[in-house]
Amino acid sequence: MIEARELTKRYGDTTAVHSLSFTIAPGTVTGFLGPNGAGKSTTMRMIMGLDRPTSGTVTVNGKPYRQHRAPLREVGALLEASAVHPGRSARSHLRSMAATHNIKASRVSEVIEMTGLAGVATKRVGGFSLGMGQRLGIAAALLGDPRTLILDEPVNGLDPEGVQWVRQLVRALAAEGRTVFLSSHLMSEMSQTADHLLVIGRGRIIAAGPVQQVIDSVAGGAVRVRTPRAGELAAALAADGVTVTSPEAGTLEVSGTTADHVGEVAFSHGMLLHELSPHRASLEEAYMSLTRDAVEYRAHTTTTARSRTEKANNR
Amino acid sequence: MSTLTADPPTTSHAATPPAAAQVHSTFAGILRGEWIKLLSLRSTWWTLTSTATVITLVSLAAAASLNAMADDPALAPGIEQMHGAEVISSGFHFGMLTIAVLGALLITGEYATGLIRSTFAAVPTRIPVLAAKALTLVVLTAAVTLVSVTLSYFLTMPQLSQYDLVPALDDPGTWRVFGGTLYSLISAALFSLGVGTLLRSTAASLTAALTVLLLLPGILSFIRLDWVETIVSYLPLPASSALLTTGAVETQGAYLSTHASLIVMAAYAVVPIAAAAVTLHRRDA
Repeated sequence: MIEARELTKRYGDTTAVHSLSFTIAPGTVTGFLGPNGAGKSTTMRMIMGLDRPTSGTVTVNGKPYRQHRAPLREVGALLEASAVHPGRSARSHLRSMAATHNIKASRVSEVIEMTGLAGVATKRVGGFSLGMGQRLGIAAALLGDPRTLILDEPVNGLDPEGVQWVRQLVRALAAEGRTVFLSSHLMSEMSQTADHLLVIGRGRIIAAGPVQQVIDSVAGGAVRVRTPRAGELAAALAADGVTVTSPEAGTLEVSGTTADHVGEVAFSHGMLLHELSPHRASLEEAYMSLTRDAVEYRAHTTTTARSRTEKANNR
Repeated sequence: MSTLTADPPTTSHAATPPAAAQVHSTFAGILRGEWIKLLSLRSTWWTLTSTATVITLVSLAAAASLNAMADDPALAPGIEQMHGAEVISSGFHFGMLTIAVLGALLITGEYATGLIRSTFAAVPTRIPVLAAKALTLVVLTAAVTLVSVTLSYFLTMPQLSQYDLVPALDDPGTWRVFGGTLYSLISAALFSLGVGTLLRSTAASLTAALTVLLLLPGILSFIRLDWVETIVSYLPLPASSALLTTGAVETQGAYLSTHASLIVMAAYAVVPIAAAAVTLHRRDA
């Protein structure tokens, strides 16, 4: 369980996180989405007690992180970038973390096995690939068998098998009643993994709730119709809130209504339909639409000057 | 999505979960964690080996230079004034250099690599980490000083015995010099750890620590102003010199008394660490 109340972080004049309030419930996987620079990592660092909020509070399992007597048992975290000394072996890194909580060496071996690092555990981390580094980070997060997991971009750099493994692991952890809070930029992956979403942009919450609800709130979806009498059908459908576009001759994209309604209208006019397919918006489409105005760093020639000044202002 | 939970994939992660009762953070555990971290880095072994090597080699060179002194009629009488322990400890300055590097790297290495986030996630109260680092550093510095002095003692023995300078182990003067060497090296190591914790960057910390520890006395020695000379006498190198002599010969005016030296060197160890402890709690990692 993670609870944030009016959580705010300012760096000089820039407000990285603006008055966030949210609750991440146990037993679910909650996806944390937002463009680069939206404040995701800052929020995660504040949850972990690494950064001090300018104002507001955040608690994990009922207490501020710093007040837990066995923090690794409460929260396991994989934070952005590497948090490992490249000159140390994976096993030494995990052993040193385990020692602080009197966690047995057998548990270190266990998480090494689990994350598929057994073959390289004694090698120096500096030589690891991005994916190996991620596996080590996940091993460290699991070390204390924590009730809450915070994973920043866990599948970054993993091979397809690794991505699938993380998805199953995360689902299994939530099924055991743990709280899982993870960020990712891979929307298809997120839609397969998360139950709930928390979308932020420019440090503010844009959307929150169950995945399908978030998607539906943005794009109600569109209905694709193919008919020889496209022009007549478009005219018949014309009503308040219904938008009809024609991407190609004989095809209509209808939004603002349901496939049932389109079918009924066509039937009542005796029109022949070749295709009637409801098109559900994907998470990616919903995300793009949600964050359109909140994207900080857009790769676009006309906005180069603008994003540059914003980048300079951001920390 | 949630339908997946109908048949959750088995994970071995809870095969033998650490028993809740045993798993909690203790200072002994944090200390062991720091110890593992320190000994599992090659750079630790490099700095320790070079500290011992350099101290030993310099003492050998100092002992060998006795021959040259004896041949020079102007310097020869000086030999009688010397104490063998001072010859053995003459590699102290170089030892200070490498031990200061070790002290700074202990913390700046964590900031440079991002490891500090893992460390503070495990110990969010942070101060115990600094205390554990200080303690491991003291133990390691003591060990390497002991090894270096022992090595120097035996390796310089043939040469020193020619001048009847082999320090007697029942001579309090001998132990005073060896003790002073240890005390000053520990102080330098802790000073460097404190500066490293405050500045975080390896380059900045090493520059600052080594300037204060080793360079400033030499640079300022060209300035003959009273107040500058007073400041110089309080810098670590001059301040520790009273601790590196047998005390048999009264030290010259510019130097501090033994008591003052002990206090000044303790301050170099304690003040930056205390300042670091205060800021450590407040700053973002």
